[in-house]
Amino acid sequence: MVKTTVLTPSQRSPGARDSEQGIALSHRLPRLALEARRVSAFVNGVHGRRKAGPGETFWQYRMLTPGEASSGIDWRRSARDSKLYVREREWEASHTIWMWADRSASMGFASSLAQAPKVDRALVLALALADALVDGGERVGLLGLTRPLASRRIIERLVEHIAGDVAGMDADLPPARAIGRLDEAVLISDWLTPLDKVLAALGSIGVQGGRGHLVMIIDPVEESFPFAGQAELLDLESDLRLDVGDANAWGKDYRVRIAAHRDAIAAACRKLGWTFTLHHTDRNASEAALRLAGLISSSRDMRAA
Amino acid sequence: MLGLPLSFMAPIVLAGLVALPALWWLLRVTPPRPQRIAFPPLKLMADLLPKRETPARTPWWLLALRMLIAALVILAVAGPVFNPQGGQESASREPLVLLVDNGAASARDWAGRVQLAESLIAGAGRDGRAVALAGLAEPAASLALGTPAEAEDRLRALALRPHMPDRSAHLADLQSLLAVAPGSDVAWISDGVRLEADDAFSRRLTELARNGRVTVHAASAPTMLFLTDVENLASSLNVRVVRAQPGAPSTVNLRASDQRGIVLGETTTLLPASATETTASFALPIEVRNAVTRIEIVGERSAGAVLLVDDSAKRRRVGLVTGVTADVAQPLLSPTYYLSRALGPFADIREPRPGISDPIGQLLDQNLSVLMLADVGGIDKDTTARITAFMERGGVLVRFAGPRLAAASDDLTPVRLRRGGRSLGGALSWDAPKTLAPFNREGPFAELSTREEVTVTRQILAEPDGELSRKVWASLVDGTPIVTAERRGAGLVVLFHVTADTTWSSLPLSGLFVDMLKRIVALAGAAAADIGQTGEARVETVSPVTVLDGQGAFRSPPATARPVPRTYADRAVHAHPPGFYGPRNATLAINTLKTGDRPAAIDFAASGLTTRAIEAPQARDLRPPLLVLALLLLAADTLATLWLGGRLKAMTRARAVAASLLLAVLASGAAGLHAGPAKAQTPTQAPAQVAPPAATQGTTVPVPREQVAAAATTRLAFVLTGDRRVDDTSKAGLEGLTLALSTRTALEPGEPVGVDPSRDELGLFPILYWPIVAGRPQPGAETMRRLDAFMKGGGFVIFDTRDADAQRSGRATPEGDHLKQMLSIVDVPELEPVPRDHVLTKTFYLIDGFPGRYDRGQTWVEVLPPPGPDGRGPARAADGVSPIVITSNDLAAAWATDRRGGPLFPLQGSSPRQREMSLRGGINLVMYALTGNYKADQVHVPALLERLGQ
Repeated sequence: MVKTTVLTPSQRSPGARDSEQGIALSHRLPRLALEARRVSAFVNGVHGRRKAGPGETFWQYRMLTPGEASSGIDWRRSARDSKLYVREREWEASHTIWMWADRSASMGFASSLAQAPKVDRALVLALALADALVDGGERVGLLGLTRPLASRRIIERLVEHIAGDVAGMDADLPPARAIGRLDEAVLISDWLTPLDKVLAALGSIGVQGGRGHLVMIIDPVEESFPFAGQAELLDLESDLRLDVGDANAWGKDYRVRIAAHRDAIAAACRKLGWTFTLHHTDRNASEAALRLAGLISSSRDMRAA
Repeated sequence: MLGLPLSFMAPIVLAGLVALPALWWLLRVTPPRPQRIAFPPLKLMADLLPKRETPARTPWWLLALRMLIAALVILAVAGPVFNPQGGQESASREPLVLLVDNGAASARDWAGRVQLAESLIAGAGRDGRAVALAGLAEPAASLALGTPAEAEDRLRALALRPHMPDRSAHLADLQSLLAVAPGSDVAWISDGVRLEADDAFSRRLTELARNGRVTVHAASAPTMLFLTDVENLASSLNVRVVRAQPGAPSTVNLRASDQRGIVLGETTTLLPASATETTASFALPIEVRNAVTRIEIVGERSAGAVLLVDDSAKRRRVGLVTGVTADVAQPLLSPTYYLSRALGPFADIREPRPGISDPIGQLLDQNLSVLMLADVGGIDKDTTARITAFMERGGVLVRFAGPRLAAASDDLTPVRLRRGGRSLGGALSWDAPKTLAPFNREGPFAELSTREEVTVTRQILAEPDGELSRKVWASLVDGTPIVTAERRGAGLVVLFHVTADTTWSSLPLSGLFVDMLKRIVALAGAAAADIGQTGEARVETVSPVTVLDGQGAFRSPPATARPVPRTYADRAVHAHPPGFYGPRNATLAINTLKTGDRPAAIDFAASGLTTRAIEAPQARDLRPPLLVLALLLLAADTLATLWLGGRLKAMTRARAVAASLLLAVLASGAAGLHAGPAKAQTPTQAPAQVAPPAATQGTTVPVPREQVAAAATTRLAFVLTGDRRVDDTSKAGLEGLTLALSTRTALEPGEPVGVDPSRDELGLFPILYWPIVAGRPQPGAETMRRLDAFMKGGGFVIFDTRDADAQRSGRATPEGDHLKQMLSIVDVPELEPVPRDHVLTKTFYLIDGFPGRYDRGQTWVEVLPPPGPDGRGPARAADGVSPIVITSNDLAAAWATDRRGGPLFPLQGSSPRQREMSLRGGINLVMYALTGNYKADQVHVPALLERLGQ
């Protein structure tokens, strides 16, 4: 018989354990792959935009256009000539990744088949990715909570903010906060919300053209429903309860429905140009982390191209 | 009910069984509690209504289980009783006369007898019969018919008596009763034991109840054990264990305790199957034996199995002194010969060592009770004073006449003797020898009868005196005293006017002599205070102080207990229950059986009486087993419900174990409830079942031949490291050492052998040489455990790291590391470099160090225990040979020789005698291993030499 456990709200907040696991996982991520891509695409940890703009690296000298502020003149270069030159630097801007991890009551669930509760898995994934990305020169922010950060102690900073966010304990969906056109969002949840609400949330985030990565964390029990006999099902977020006379028979319908829900979300992601990652809590967290790191990197390349 | 002897105390409750079908329906629709599953996706699925809402049915077997529980509870509440009538069928309406033996022989199953009597009275009550009840151990009282309730009251008042019943006393009462109610049924609950020679009571009983309505309830064979006939013999205290009828052989445990109840000794005797009696003896020192006041059979709670011992059974210590020069070659002429033979069975005889200067004083030092002086004349003043003091303290002085006494004059005689010019004439001679007159009624010999064959040819005469007649215990037919006595202080002086040998009379040859001496010796001590007053014709009566109850425990005397004369020697009766009578220091013990009593079984069949078993058919309350069964089933139901609800698997393993343990305890408790009586019937089976495993332990394992060869001769052994060079060196080295041992010492060891410690038996070798090779694999943990056992079992291991040349201070060598790792799992004692005065340095040679191929390495042995509290050096090497020696000097290489005796390896060292010293060191090591630390004494040598002045 499969046993299920439900976490209390305090257990759903990130703690030292999640931080440590996040650090450990981020350290296990293949640094080499990120490194290689950085050589080609990153300069000093930021992305060169292949055009003039604010930055540190020399891009080109150009003639001073009349009306331009004299402070931009490169006097050393101009002294060799009779013309006035302006020294332009390459426009450098670092990428921003917005993270969001669902910490609602439905996430605080683990069955005896799972390795960890869903919320643990979500937080570990988010923190590990944040650490790896900041290491790689990106800026990471919590969607709706922080500005993009590039701190060396990114995990501690993020954990502080997450722990301070009491309202987020009940939020089933990410805050409807639009991200920049070039930003990316990593949204980790169980997405056990009606499809239209999910679509609305995704739409409002990507309204400026930002893309994202959707991670669906599910407990193996939620997929297979291995119960039989008489059962009383309890919902964690509402007082909803359902007496099921024959769990086995009910499970057959359930499996069809949950598969349909999952497929619908995946299809919606594809339509929006987002990626969809399915992660079971009976699998190792590193699998999902690896896949996400790969997805973020490849989307970067795609955009850079 | 259903032909079964089953009835219910509350049969109305059985109507509850009708409700069972309703319970069936109720249980059927009440399903087990559903499992609660927290399930997050539910909010998505809220619209997905279950298709089938019908609850899971309660499984039929669970239903059946619950019905069974309910039925059991209802049955239990109804109070079922098995066999409530006790099976006492009786068609008669006539009165019932119930005779109950409540004497000492009924003690073993007294409760059963009372129950039987109760059920008989209850049966009579049900039939409305009048009942008369008599306890046969009670004094005869008028036997009257009464209501069963009155009889029950009397039965409740009937106590188990500590004495044997006097049944014949009740015959008159019975007769008069039966005359009034001629048709009465007589039921006799008998103990089946009689003491009288003939069985008058049974016969008379049959005659009285002419209509033959006599039922005897008795055990098929009386198995009660009694104690009687205590004898305090020369070496042991003997007591007879008797029973009425031969039966199963039984081991009887006896316990002797003193006045305060402290157990002084225990003994065991076997009563054979065919025998009715056996002797048990307590082999205890005489002082302890004399302190015994109570002997009992362990486990037999009966007054008959308790024997009280008074002073008469105490064994006195008698000192014998003779004035005659002992002629060892002719013992029959010695006066003490007859005395010691006569006293031997009941007294502890002390004689002075020959040639001692003060024999009487020496004997008096030995805490005597009786001092016998056979023809002792001149007693000096000091000794006289001591003897007088001895008598004042209660001692008894017995003197025998003879030429010396006749010649001497002292006041240690009860009467004044004729002496002076007629002193020799005081020993008269007659034409015809005189015989003894009947004994004085007041003296201690009153119960003895004189024998015709005792003749007196000479005697010492007493001065006629007004007091004389009061002092005479025995006299000749002509009235001249032959035994006189007088009280002195607490003690007594007794004079035999004849010799202790046969020269003057034949008294010492007679059995009378033994009896007389026995009585005199019995007077010794406090008892003498009473009977010493011989002249006063008074027999003191003594009151009961503590008596036994029916179970053989001491209690204060009941109101019915009466004093007895001190001469009382009969068995206990109702007026004189068994117990101690008289003051504490001069007690008289009365026992259930008197000396010589032998209980016999009553032969009921011979008297025409039929017997029935004693057991009252027990009404058995069936409630406890039913309730326990229901409880067990309830526990099973709980487990089943848990299992159905899916909670059983969630239980941790420990909880499941605890639950099953609880079940097991409940089950065994229930089993114990039923198995109780069965167990009690077979107590002797248990030892027999234990025996076989012990017998199988002797199986032998065949010993391999090479082990036999190795054990036959002492050999040096080395460990095969697997490195061929090292192994060859070890072998050559030990061969060299073996040669040196054979030529220089008494030890001639066999060929050295290489052993593999993981395979070979190490215990066969006293010494193991273990060279360490760094590169070889570590031996396994199993091997090291064997090595550990070898060292702890007295083995001696020399570890040689062979790296003294490579050692630098503070740096470990590979061999050292190898050894350290190897010994990490062995219990190695604390080590120290060999101290200068260690016994290793002097077991054969006096040496300073243990050089091998190198002479720089340190040799380590177990730390010796610290010096003794006196701080003296010799205590250092107390005991304990070091099981381990660690060296790095490569000893084997230094010992190694080729076939011609030449060295194999060059040595690295400064001393030219290094090879010799290494051999000496090796010999010392071997001697140390073989002889232990006896040479530790060598540390005394300096002190000894100093004392010798060298």
